[in-house]
Amino acid sequence: MDFITFENVEREYCIGSSVIKAVDGINFKLQKGTFNVVLGQSGAGKTTLLNLLGGMDSPTSGRIIVNSKEISGMSEYDLTEYRRTQIGFVFQFYNLVPNLTALENVQLAEEICPEPLDARDMLKRVGLGSRMDNFPSQLSGGEQQRVSIARALAKNPQIVLCDEPTGALDSETGRKVLRLIREVSDDLGKTVIVVTHNASISEMAHTVLHMRDGKIARVQCNDNLKDVGEIVW
Amino acid sequence: MVRGSLFIKSLRDMRKSKAQFISIFIMATLAVFIMTGLDSIWFTVEKHADAMYRSANMSDLWVTVPNPSEQMVWGISKLDGVKLAEKRFTADADTALPGSPTLHVYALDGRSTLDQPEIHEGKFSKSGGAVLDISFAKAHNLKTGDYISIKLNSRWLRLKIDGLALSGEHVFAVKNSASLAPNHSEYGFIIINTDALKSIYGQKIYNQISVKTLPGSDIPQLVQKVGAVVGNNLIGITLQKDNGSVSSVNSRIQQFRTLSVVFPILFLLVTALITQSTMVRMIENQRSQIGILKALGYSKRSILWHYTSYGVMVGVLGSVLGLLTGPNIFGRIMVRQLNLTLNSYSLKINYLHFVFVLILILICTGGVSFLACRKLLSDAPAFLLRDKPPKSGQHIFLESISSVWEKMKFSSKLIARNMVKNKGRLIMSTIGVMGCTGVIISALTVRSTLSGISDYTYGTTFTFNQKIVLDTSKVNSTYLKNLELDGITQQIEETAVQVIFPDGSYKMELTNITTKESPLIYLQDIDGNPVSIPENGVLMTRKLCKEKGLKKGDIIQIKIKDKGYAAVPIEEIAYIASGQGIYMTDTYWESLGETFKPSALLVRWNGEPDQKFLDRDIVSDSATRESMQDGLSSSLGVVNLAVLFLIVLGSSLAFVVLYNTGMLNYVERVRDLATFRVLGFHNREIQYLVLIENYFSVLLGMLSGIPVGRFISWLIASTIDERLDLLGNIKLMDVLIAGAMTALFAWIVNKVIAHKMKELDIFEALKSVE
Repeated sequence: MDFITFENVEREYCIGSSVIKAVDGINFKLQKGTFNVVLGQSGAGKTTLLNLLGGMDSPTSGRIIVNSKEISGMSEYDLTEYRRTQIGFVFQFYNLVPNLTALENVQLAEEICPEPLDARDMLKRVGLGSRMDNFPSQLSGGEQQRVSIARALAKNPQIVLCDEPTGALDSETGRKVLRLIREVSDDLGKTVIVVTHNASISEMAHTVLHMRDGKIARVQCNDNLKDVGEIVW
Repeated sequence: MVRGSLFIKSLRDMRKSKAQFISIFIMATLAVFIMTGLDSIWFTVEKHADAMYRSANMSDLWVTVPNPSEQMVWGISKLDGVKLAEKRFTADADTALPGSPTLHVYALDGRSTLDQPEIHEGKFSKSGGAVLDISFAKAHNLKTGDYISIKLNSRWLRLKIDGLALSGEHVFAVKNSASLAPNHSEYGFIIINTDALKSIYGQKIYNQISVKTLPGSDIPQLVQKVGAVVGNNLIGITLQKDNGSVSSVNSRIQQFRTLSVVFPILFLLVTALITQSTMVRMIENQRSQIGILKALGYSKRSILWHYTSYGVMVGVLGSVLGLLTGPNIFGRIMVRQLNLTLNSYSLKINYLHFVFVLILILICTGGVSFLACRKLLSDAPAFLLRDKPPKSGQHIFLESISSVWEKMKFSSKLIARNMVKNKGRLIMSTIGVMGCTGVIISALTVRSTLSGISDYTYGTTFTFNQKIVLDTSKVNSTYLKNLELDGITQQIEETAVQVIFPDGSYKMELTNITTKESPLIYLQDIDGNPVSIPENGVLMTRKLCKEKGLKKGDIIQIKIKDKGYAAVPIEEIAYIASGQGIYMTDTYWESLGETFKPSALLVRWNGEPDQKFLDRDIVSDSATRESMQDGLSSSLGVVNLAVLFLIVLGSSLAFVVLYNTGMLNYVERVRDLATFRVLGFHNREIQYLVLIENYFSVLLGMLSGIPVGRFISWLIASTIDERLDLLGNIKLMDVLIAGAMTALFAWIVNKVIAHKMKELDIFEALKSVE
């Protein structure tokens, strides 16, 4: 059974009088519990794809089916519910609430999700057991991203979406963060989709979607996954 | 070109943060509106009234004395500090016009120069003709050339109207202290030549000496000396400031002067706080822009001016709009409502105060931007272009109470932290709401105390249902006692008596002499306990005592006709809402050597009023309690209008403040809020996070607004009118209404912001940090 299905998905934006097709007839299927990468140059349409999958945007045409439910065409309210219960989001710039401590940033998931995971456990898991009461500004970039990962996973979502999660980090930290995403989501059986322009990450993914000009240029399936440590950046 | 592109940039910046700029603009407008508006009211009245007093060559004091001799006038005119003394005659006269209105007659000598009418039509011939009050003439449709008959000394005198005029002594023209508002069809003045009195009195007759003093003379001392010259014949000395009209005009001026200090300060305080913090915030948000401009090579000066100009432009535009509208709307309407008869109503603006407010506003807008910008400019462009280190979170006090903190939801924690972080803003909006609630409470309080005044006066104090004014030349006390009218009656003599207070000041005070039993005047002390008129002293009203710093047991001196002064103790103090003065019993009055000559009869009829009695010639006038109460209530209409103005202005202020802080709270946290949207928070939940803070400041502001309202009420109550004794106690109901109104405003503002927040762009969360 396919967990995520995109059928002829198009997304057009009107900028002034010109119409731009950010996503132009995309078809793909992803399996539950896999680690996937969407690869492409900037402007290739990968963020739009992520937004569509994350329920932040709706396609102009085509169907998106997640966990046997069609999310294309859902109302604003249902999309919010979908994001709330099904999606964990890891941002490029972490997007932690500056006014909340690390622990509280993770706890906010508890308040909105039906079956949240324990916030303290999640922070311990990402290696921040001793920094729970620190505010984001007192943490390094890598640490902040780990809080963000803990927050995404504490919601206990089906899907974890990561938008350039290493984009703002140095390579060593980036590697650690990726390994963490990989390990934790494997443990919890989450489906992960990472959007990046860093081709080297693709070697650790089950499926790699290569995007160019709003289309999927190539779908690459890896049978032998490399460990993060083996990847050369 | 440098200036050109920067100018365009500033216009675009303003458009971008138009909500903030518009709110600063509105606040500047409101502050200047209320300041210049209130200022223009008293300023206009003061200027025009002064001009009238000058052109009339108004006396500085009037000495009332029957048939003053030439030596007496000469003696006064030779006193140190006296410039001029003249004799005149003044009295109230009935007229033969419908409704039998009263005219106050002034008879002047042909060569007189003091207290002259200001002729607006025709002339003052000083030879048999008369000059009539222009407002009175208008009310009765009389023109120059018409004839009017007045009754003096029980004889009719027919006079040709030679001219129509205004008088400085009739700017606020009320018949006596019982009427609070002028009614030009019931009361006016007429000025005639003393020669005209010959046909009535058989000779020229005088009863007053008008005295003009030299500038800088010691008036209290002069009053004493004048008293000595006149001797026992003296009835009383009235200072210019104690003249009925002059003192009413002055009390209006004083009243609006007080208001024009209190309210503008409240408005300016809020405006200053909000504008300065908004400006600082906006400049700080331009941090990287300043870095870019600096890196591009713009001079410090042009960057400074660029950012300073934002505030200067908005401040100047708002202030000018306020200056144009305040006096013209607020001032114009209120000056008309004051019921004053001035020679001109053209508005005078107190530019000095305007400039002062303008400077203050410019400091809060331009000045603050200048400083904020200069602070940023001292950093290197490279530093400015780098991201500003994010503002750190802070642990707050509440966390130390872990039992509470642990149980709080994350949203409550966030709200608590955010409020502590933005406490400045919280305080600002609290002050804004405080001002609003305070203004509304005081406005409502003044309204209900004033309506309470007429209820108290004609519901509690006076229990008669008709007051019958008698022709004193035809009746005496014994005669009245034997009338056998069907009802309860009470005789009363209302007169003005010259009083010397312990502080040495002289004043003619309203004095009521009545019977000991006093069945129709029920007097109470401030706590509502009944007070009776003492037998061995006088009763004085609370407000008068307060004004003169008197207490029970103090001694005042009162002038006895044809004798010197008698020392009388204040035995009782009573609370009288309207009409301050002295009460004493007829027996005590006679024990001082006076005679009790009732001027009015109060009656509570058992059945219908005895019309036959009312038609008798001993009755010169009568009024029902209802009509007196209506008259009192309607005279307070001007206050209701002022109240409406203040409520509208106070509410607009609260609107702007709440909108501004609410929007700031939203705009500054767009990224956090968008993140919440991504994480799956519903719109409603996000609105709650932002708007609950507004409700907090509303709650705090409402609570702190109560003492502010109390203070303003007290201030207004104590300055509003010296004849009224307002307590300025706030009623629970008024507080509740004010609270409900403020809460309603807050709710509306929050709805508007919530509507704005629907436009929140979820993708803000994905953008890089600017």
